[in-house]
Amino acid sequence: MSLLSAQDEQVLKQHLSVIDKPVTVLLFTQTIGGSESGPVAKQVLDEVARLNDKISVVEKNFILDTEDRGKYGVTMAPALVFLSDGQDTRMRMYGAPTGYEFVGLVEALLIAGTGKVDLEDDTVALLAGVDTPTTIQVFSTPT
Amino acid sequence: MAFTSQQVTSAAIDAMEFMDLSRKFRVTGVPKTIVNESIEIMGALPEDMFVRAALQVPDDEQTAQT
Repeated sequence: MSLLSAQDEQVLKQHLSVIDKPVTVLLFTQTIGGSESGPVAKQVLDEVARLNDKISVVEKNFILDTEDRGKYGVTMAPALVFLSDGQDTRMRMYGAPTGYEFVGLVEALLIAGTGKVDLEDDTVALLAGVDTPTTIQVFSTPT
Repeated sequence: MAFTSQQVTSAAIDAMEFMDLSRKFRVTGVPKTIVNESIEIMGALPEDMFVRAALQVPDDEQTAQT
């Protein structure tokens, strides 16, 4: 059964139509001993990727794909890593992108797929001055 | 922010899914933001306030006067 209704798909397809560069979502899941949110995350991503041929989903095994885990700094599963034209965007999501988190998924896809961010000029100026690695973790709940 | 600065990595984390991490950072309400495992920002702030809090940039004069 689809998570997205036909109407949702139509609206989302329109939103995603501005994407003009390839977006790859690396989905790290743990098959054995993992939580149920892994398969949910995969279903959500597959349904969204079907709506735009520039979006692709590549599933990674959290336990076995240690090289990619290290490369992208993935510490938990399920995890989503967003690549823009093959380049790491440094945007991650941990957990299934459902509920309010679905909005975050769409935003990440749009940023990765257009290269455009909706930030104030002052924010961009402050970010230009960041010269040390900075990790921002935002905790939220889907509902 | 992560897309704009190569120094920044961002992670949206489902607090209910990753309870151990939530406990580690004493997440009792959402959204809660943790920067470099030390700076805590509670709630959803306006963009300018959030960025300054996250990057530990003091308010500018104009902001300080208001």
